[in-house]
Amino acid sequence: MFDISWLLSLASHFPLEGMDMRFMQQALLALVLLAPMTAALGVQVVHYRMAFFSDAVGHSAFAGVAVGLLLGMHPHISMPLFGLGVGLVIMFMQRYSALPSDTVIGVVFSAVVAAGLAVVSRDNTIARDLQQFLYGDILTMTEADICWLILLFGAFLLFQAFAFNHLLYAGTSGIIARAHRIRVALYEYCFAALLALVVMFSVWGVGVLLVTAMLIVPAACARNLAQTAGGMFWWAIAVSLSSSVSGLALSVQPWMGTATGATIILVSCAWFVVSIVVSAARNERRL
Amino acid sequence: MELDNSPAIVFDHVSVTRNGLNILDHVNAAIPRGSWTVLIGPNGAGKTTLLLALLGEVSYRGRIELGGGKGLRIGYVPQKLTLDRGMPFTVAEFLAMGIQKRPLWLGISRAAREEAAHLLEMVHASHIMKRRVGTLSGGEMQRVLLALALQQKPELLVLDEPSAGVDFEGGRLFCELLEDLRSSQGFTQIMVSHDLGMVAHHATCVICLKRRIVAQGAPHDVLTGPVLQSLFGMHMGLICADSHTHRMPPLAPYDPASALPASDLRPLEHARPDRDEKEHRHV
Repeated sequence: MFDISWLLSLASHFPLEGMDMRFMQQALLALVLLAPMTAALGVQVVHYRMAFFSDAVGHSAFAGVAVGLLLGMHPHISMPLFGLGVGLVIMFMQRYSALPSDTVIGVVFSAVVAAGLAVVSRDNTIARDLQQFLYGDILTMTEADICWLILLFGAFLLFQAFAFNHLLYAGTSGIIARAHRIRVALYEYCFAALLALVVMFSVWGVGVLLVTAMLIVPAACARNLAQTAGGMFWWAIAVSLSSSVSGLALSVQPWMGTATGATIILVSCAWFVVSIVVSAARNERRL
Repeated sequence: MELDNSPAIVFDHVSVTRNGLNILDHVNAAIPRGSWTVLIGPNGAGKTTLLLALLGEVSYRGRIELGGGKGLRIGYVPQKLTLDRGMPFTVAEFLAMGIQKRPLWLGISRAAREEAAHLLEMVHASHIMKRRVGTLSGGEMQRVLLALALQQKPELLVLDEPSAGVDFEGGRLFCELLEDLRSSQGFTQIMVSHDLGMVAHHATCVICLKRRIVAQGAPHDVLTGPVLQSLFGMHMGLICADSHTHRMPPLAPYDPASALPASDLRPLEHARPDRDEKEHRHV
């Protein structure tokens, strides 16, 4: 798509064993791009109470891959497109259905998982491909994937620069925001689309089972550590980036030998424990 | 400059139906420009629904005209705000999110901080600028929501039961604050309230709603025993608003025999908005 060899060359200087290998450079780059996105969107997911939404989109990866394989599309194309579609459909149904939000998501969640399983049950060769998305593997990220991630990161930066305040407004109260002339629907759809795409890319890294953790755990740590909404944004990014890089470093150690995605989440959970201790100590000092 | 005496809001045969139930039935009302209009009525009378229709939050039949068709800048203060109390979100950020274009993660600009401070000063809450929104009391939150609404430089301030969840003194101070702001800023104000004492003291226009308009006009015209009895279905002749002042009549022992059964209630003059709208409208 475009030349990222200079970025890979930059990544090769990172002080970590095995960084001379191309797949490690790609994995590091992918994580450095993904971690800030999941962290910042995670803060908004917590504010908007959309954890279940991201879970449903993540689980649509199965159906996305299965449908892609049936149609002869590469899973790395079909999956984000399918996830994007699912995210927008949920948002549309939430806005126009009288049903509670979690019921709407539950219905869509069930539909996409069932669709994925139905396709898989017809063809066992697809099942082998799906395993990869269940657990994720950041080490399989290709250069083309990273190019897509760079484009997505650009869109993410633009969105966070122009929409952060308005999205915070809308998340605080949709009615107040609309009365005060904020275009809530536009921001919500853009947020849902961006979140769906980031979730789908994260599925490649950490797998369907842990994708929500990529969003929620850094945001939960940041909630304990930060004093302001702006501070929460930066704390979440710091926790997510440090967990991702140290998780990658740990997972490739011969004595560890664990899946990278799971290791990243474990490191961020350790961060969460630290954040609870810090928060408790701070509250005690206030008393 | 020509003074615009047209009503700020006109509700023209506004009806709202939900699940086959009429929440609002052909509501006709006009809110005078610059007035403090209060919607009163029993629970389920459709007061909040009428406000939500005004804000475009519920679909309705009929017509709602704002500012003679030109539209009005609205500031909205809800009854309460459900927030994650542990969320690190300061009052300064809460107000700045509507003021500055720069994303809050790059900090609050000096101009936004000054405007937020000015807004808090207007609502007599300067001391809570650095506090977290989740730690505010009901009264403090109400003032911050009012400051957020004032940031819109509203031509119409819409409040949904602002006194709910606030003690008597807090409610009184808030109403006095609204009175001062309305005089200084010149906005029209429409609110829902159950506090008839406050209505008698502060409102310049009262709309009695029970799915339909029961009565509307100045408080001394509307807050009469028969209207309140028709509205709330019980003897409520306690308020005698005379020339916009409180005068509580002596309490007579309640005699059930003298109370009229609901079926004997005659249609009130006030209950015929089509005929009496002009007569009772306070302009």
